[in-house]
Amino acid sequence: MAAAAVQGGRSGGSGGCSGAGGASNCGTGSGRSGLLDKRQALTILPRLDSSSWAQAVLPPQPPKYLGWQWKIDDKPVKIDKWDGSAVKNSLDDSAKKVLLEKYKYVENFGLIDGRLTICTISCFFAIVALIWDYMHPFPESKPVLALCVISYFVMMGILTIYTSYKEKSIFLVAHRKDPTGMDPDDIWQLSSSLKRFDDKYTLKLTFISGRTKQQREAEFTKSIAKFFDHSGTLVMDAYEPEISRLHDSLAIERKIK
Amino acid sequence: MCRKGLRQNNNFFSSCHVWSTLYTCKLYYQVLNFGMIVSSALMIWKGLMVITGSESPIVVVLSGSMEPAFHRGDLLFLTNRVEDPIRVGEIVVFRIEGREIPIVHRVLKIHEKQNGHIKFLTKGDNNAVDDRGLYKQGQHWLEKKDVVGRARGFVPYIGIVTILMNDYPKFKYAVLFLLGLFVLVHRE
Repeated sequence: MAAAAVQGGRSGGSGGCSGAGGASNCGTGSGRSGLLDKRQALTILPRLDSSSWAQAVLPPQPPKYLGWQWKIDDKPVKIDKWDGSAVKNSLDDSAKKVLLEKYKYVENFGLIDGRLTICTISCFFAIVALIWDYMHPFPESKPVLALCVISYFVMMGILTIYTSYKEKSIFLVAHRKDPTGMDPDDIWQLSSSLKRFDDKYTLKLTFISGRTKQQREAEFTKSIAKFFDHSGTLVMDAYEPEISRLHDSLAIERKIK
Repeated sequence: MCRKGLRQNNNFFSSCHVWSTLYTCKLYYQVLNFGMIVSSALMIWKGLMVITGSESPIVVVLSGSMEPAFHRGDLLFLTNRVEDPIRVGEIVVFRIEGREIPIVHRVLKIHEKQNGHIKFLTKGDNNAVDDRGLYKQGQHWLEKKDVVGRARGFVPYIGIVTILMNDYPKFKYAVLFLLGLFVLVHRE
């Protein structure tokens, strides 16, 4: 089926993803769809790793084919349908894939990097406290220890504020580079929510125009039963049109302006 | 390889996403995650140390020498404020030079100088004799520097787990193994 698509008047080189000897980055892209990082149930501590990885997997040549053939070659995503966080993760990952691979946006890791920085600084304070206390046994190390402990908990507070207000439930920030190269990039943000033991999944797409700095959003709330079959496999044919529809509703508004 | 054309993100971590392998980067995330949990526990302990002023703010009673006040397995909360004077009848936790394990007994006699320097003798409630037999060779009195802290409160029986883990190391390894297994399985 992939070969037939390639033959249909399209550039042979564009079948990079579908070819058997396809580029290794495409191979890892497919492999990654089967690897789901589960959200950790650390309710006491702020979550570090709340979303799984995204890779901006670009085909080796600029695509010239009209349709979008990626889903044929990827392994279908299968998870435990009763596990709420696995379901949310897989839906999020697939939405990421759609945006990054179909529309060729480039992912921006700024939010994740911010979280990583805060966590690294906190760990650094903890290590300093540990080593200092080891080298100068307790009573002498009191001021340094006090400083490190206070700094650590301040960083934890910052991390909580960062996760709650800056990151919210955004799991993807993608840039669309301006084709003329003159205007700043447009930003697309994806955020989602799925309540515990609930079946309604809400996906929100936010568009921030690079030029006018205006923000537009669109969202849909659907039951997860619409996207998963009985065995827990995510049916991309049902999911992908939803996302495309969201995206196009925002993109069209832009064009009209 | 992944983001050749991207110029905007110049900070350290963005470049980390194009590390030699994606695996190294993921490993860093995992390690950091684990490090956060360990750091939080460590910081809480150090924080307690700073607040109470004692180098071991929570101890477990190991022997029955303070019955009927404290039994084996009770958890004790200690403070070690400089301004609190040690008086006869108070329960102190002290460490004898050359021994690792602190002892919790009651103060029996005190000699106090004008400048506040103290020498004291201790005895366990349930013991027949005072602690001179336990002290170092030639030492007859304890001093303030030997004190780890004074007991301020206690929780009964909870420390039995610690005693079990010390007496039966296999139990400790079994618990740790099960915990590790649980974390790994849960992540899948």
